[in-house]
Amino acid sequence: MTETQEAPAAGTKPLCEVRGVTHDFVLPNGKPLRVLENINFAIQPNEVVALLGPSGCGKSTLLRILAGLIVPSKGEVYYRGELLRGMSPGVGFVFQSFALYPWLTVRQNVEVVLRAMHMPNDTLRERIQHCIKTVGLAGFEDVFPRELSGGMKQRCGIARALAVDSEVLFLDEPFSAVDALTAESMRAELIDIWAAAGRNPESILMVSHDIKEVVYMADRIVVLGSNPGRIVKVVENKLPRPRDYRAPEFLKLTDQLHDIITGHEIPDAAPGKAPQAAAIEPIPNVRPNMVVGLLEYLDARGGREDIFHIAADTKSEFGAVIETAEAAEMLDFVDTPKRAVVLTEDGKRFVKAHPNARQALWREHILRLKLFKDVHALLEKQPEHTLDADHVRELIVLHMPHEDYSRMFRDFIGWARFGHLFTYNEHKGRLRLPDAHIEED
Amino acid sequence: MAHSNTVWGTASAFLDHARKIRWIDLLIVASLAGMFYGLLMLQSEWTSAASPAKEPIDLSPWALPKYTLYSLSRGLIAYLFSLAFTLAYGYWAAKDHMAEHLLVPMLDILQSIPVLGFMPGLVIALVALFPNSHVGLELAAILMIFTGQAWNMTFSFYHSLRSIPKDMNEVGSAYHFSAWERLKWIELPFSAIGLVWNSMMSMAGGWFFLMINEAFTLGDRDFRLPGIGSYMSVAVEQDDKSAMFWALLAMVLMIVFLDQFLWRPLVVWSRKFRIEEGGARDDTSSWVLDLLRRSWLVARVAEWQARRQNTRFARSQNATRPVQPPHGGLRTWLATLALLGLVAVLLYGAWRLALMLLVLPAGQWTELGTAALLTLGRVLLATALGTLWALPAGLAIGLNPRLSRILQPVIQVVASFPAPMLFPIAIAVFNACGLELGWGSIVLMLLGTQWYILFNVVAGTLAIPHDLQEAAQSYRLSGWMRFKTVYLPAVFPYLVTGWVTAAGGAWNASIVSEYVTFQKHTDAAWGLGSTISIACAQNNFPLLAASVLTMSLVVVIFNRLVWRRLYHLAETRYSLSK
Repeated sequence: MTETQEAPAAGTKPLCEVRGVTHDFVLPNGKPLRVLENINFAIQPNEVVALLGPSGCGKSTLLRILAGLIVPSKGEVYYRGELLRGMSPGVGFVFQSFALYPWLTVRQNVEVVLRAMHMPNDTLRERIQHCIKTVGLAGFEDVFPRELSGGMKQRCGIARALAVDSEVLFLDEPFSAVDALTAESMRAELIDIWAAAGRNPESILMVSHDIKEVVYMADRIVVLGSNPGRIVKVVENKLPRPRDYRAPEFLKLTDQLHDIITGHEIPDAAPGKAPQAAAIEPIPNVRPNMVVGLLEYLDARGGREDIFHIAADTKSEFGAVIETAEAAEMLDFVDTPKRAVVLTEDGKRFVKAHPNARQALWREHILRLKLFKDVHALLEKQPEHTLDADHVRELIVLHMPHEDYSRMFRDFIGWARFGHLFTYNEHKGRLRLPDAHIEED
Repeated sequence: MAHSNTVWGTASAFLDHARKIRWIDLLIVASLAGMFYGLLMLQSEWTSAASPAKEPIDLSPWALPKYTLYSLSRGLIAYLFSLAFTLAYGYWAAKDHMAEHLLVPMLDILQSIPVLGFMPGLVIALVALFPNSHVGLELAAILMIFTGQAWNMTFSFYHSLRSIPKDMNEVGSAYHFSAWERLKWIELPFSAIGLVWNSMMSMAGGWFFLMINEAFTLGDRDFRLPGIGSYMSVAVEQDDKSAMFWALLAMVLMIVFLDQFLWRPLVVWSRKFRIEEGGARDDTSSWVLDLLRRSWLVARVAEWQARRQNTRFARSQNATRPVQPPHGGLRTWLATLALLGLVAVLLYGAWRLALMLLVLPAGQWTELGTAALLTLGRVLLATALGTLWALPAGLAIGLNPRLSRILQPVIQVVASFPAPMLFPIAIAVFNACGLELGWGSIVLMLLGTQWYILFNVVAGTLAIPHDLQEAAQSYRLSGWMRFKTVYLPAVFPYLVTGWVTAAGGAWNASIVSEYVTFQKHTDAAWGLGSTISIACAQNNFPLLAASVLTMSLVVVIFNRLVWRRLYHLAETRYSLSK
């Protein structure tokens, strides 16, 4: 089952399409948080499209908008050229968390979606059996999901999606909760199912943060950028199937995607760029220990490494590694020329230092960021050296209205605690200068 | 920069203002003084009367604040008793494996005995003990409230103690914690959340029989204590509609007050003991607790407490700690002795009970059996009727985040309202429609118990994982299929909890539902509940003992045969934790 799929012909009508889609989530404080901005793209018949991007770029939201699970704040969704209202007709949806009903057996989990389609009894049984066999679950029909491994659960999820005979199969990070080796075989099986001529699903739309996975599976790779989510680039993948992970073309395409992502996510500073003194820098969603871990990692490898190599080596998601590198760069502990991460002199000093000295260095470096500097200055001015947490939150909201302020406040506190810059009492909601610092003054 | 300066400017201005909030401290001092004054009033009420007799109740609304205070303090004192009982009994049952075999089933039986079953014995004994004051009667009322509160708290504490993760206990052993330190650092914190929730439920359960607890007749003797319950009883007796209204209002205010000033702060505070990390769902807040945390006075007391702890800690650091022997010889010996004592008391009680029951003719027993079946039918019908409306309503509320945020605390308060106080209104309606009490009693049971079903279904609906709902949506399950395959199984474990609570409440309510006094006219529908009420009113102790025994037997058997199986089914088949 390995015939090559034809590239979509120019004149065919797209299966699914979004035009000018923008989506906002409402934050707990009532302010909108933009997750997607002005997205235009279409899925043609007979192709596998992947949405690739770091976590938080809104790719799962976009998938749900195309499937009709979420109504976008702005813009239109079309299915076969018609404006979509409600759920998209004929959608098979595979969830990252499987979303199987734990009180139903494998067979019943498939059966229930067919019953929802009012399928007559005689064809129903046959169909269930066929789908379960296709995904390799034969013999497990009467088993409850809790008795299955992650990979087996997802097979059941795929069987359920195949059962409705959908034209488009929507996969939301289908293999990220499945162990690596199982995922490997399931990718190949899924492509075989799709490639079987004359059958649904005609096309597959998948969301992933695994670059190798999308190069292996997709004909078109839509790279999304974050804050807010938007399309950075669409990459055609014309590699013949079956694809070989070690083929030079495969590696070349992987490399190309690496460059697109790093070029977008951590652009090299333009020479002579004036430092933006007045602006408050957003604090990345990174824990201090991850930054320290990155520095230690680099130090143990001669102070320089490719960012995607780090991600693969530490089995982390590349988005998380990029964000960690960005955080380290904000603190002047690393430089990020192109795809490399390089330890700076300050970074080397930090790695070599004793725990107490590390804390002092961390404190010194976060105080170079405006938010920490301002809050610290204000705390010093207060007679009791305390400050209500809400004022910091307010400051974050005022300067960065499109960020999730509670998340950023959490990270702000985490960074400050790590450097023992202030203490924070969660119950009272108060920041305080540590006594040692007060006595110094 | 100018922009950010104004931000800091206003922020600091607010900050200065915030630190000046001293009125909360004034309020705390004022309420402490109020509490002290209340205690004095209480004390004089307890010791003033010359004899435990019927006290005239003043039906003017201006007398109500005082009565409310009396009822509230009875509930709170009973709660303190319940807490002490819970800690002692639960700890004993969890720690002493021999006693456990006796104590746990005994708790099961105690839970099934209706409050009225305890009443005559308690009243007679305590009144005899304090013949010259209200103390005996007050104690009797408090203990009756206690019997409505204690059992489920004890069960919760016992279960928490038994389900402490092994590693937490191993830490205690590895670092040579004494039994007291184990209790303080591991066992109490681990059981805190369950204990707080069950305390809240218990307090509500304790109010249920308030009208009876404060005003009751035993044979030809009529007892009455000042309180909301007796106020309501007298108002009903005299058909004083406005007084009834004021009593209901006072009760609602008292429940809302307790919810806002006691339970809500405790629930929010106890969240710091939760074991699982994260858990973004729970976002209840308590304005009272927020205020207390801002208080200067509370902060100083906390500081003083912390300092005291520190000095104590320093002292204990200096002293070398003796290594605990693994099994305290004396302690085991004492525990065995206590167990033997308990067994002796139980055997003696059983012997006396048997003697009393022998008096009853055999025909009475078959009659009791039929009455029990009749009441069982009513209880089940009431539970079924409650489910019929509360299940869809609970789902609708739970699936609508805004609605559930508003309604959940309201349902909680409504559920703690003692339904018997609403009976007079319901009975007036029955009389108008010509509904017989045999059927009407089902409605009366429903009044009190339906809220437990609703409350649990809402909680269950809120706990349905989002992806399961999305899956139903993406595969276009129709309304009925969605209900059948997603919602009903997902809330089933919660529904069972609701059923058990509701049915337990309905059994208890049968006593007041099958036998009602309305405007000096008594109406009874044949059943086990009315048999108990009548036996009580006629001072017929053998019949009372027999009927109470029958009820607790039926309840225990039904628990074993039906509810436990449903629980098991819910846990194995319909549990969402994989």
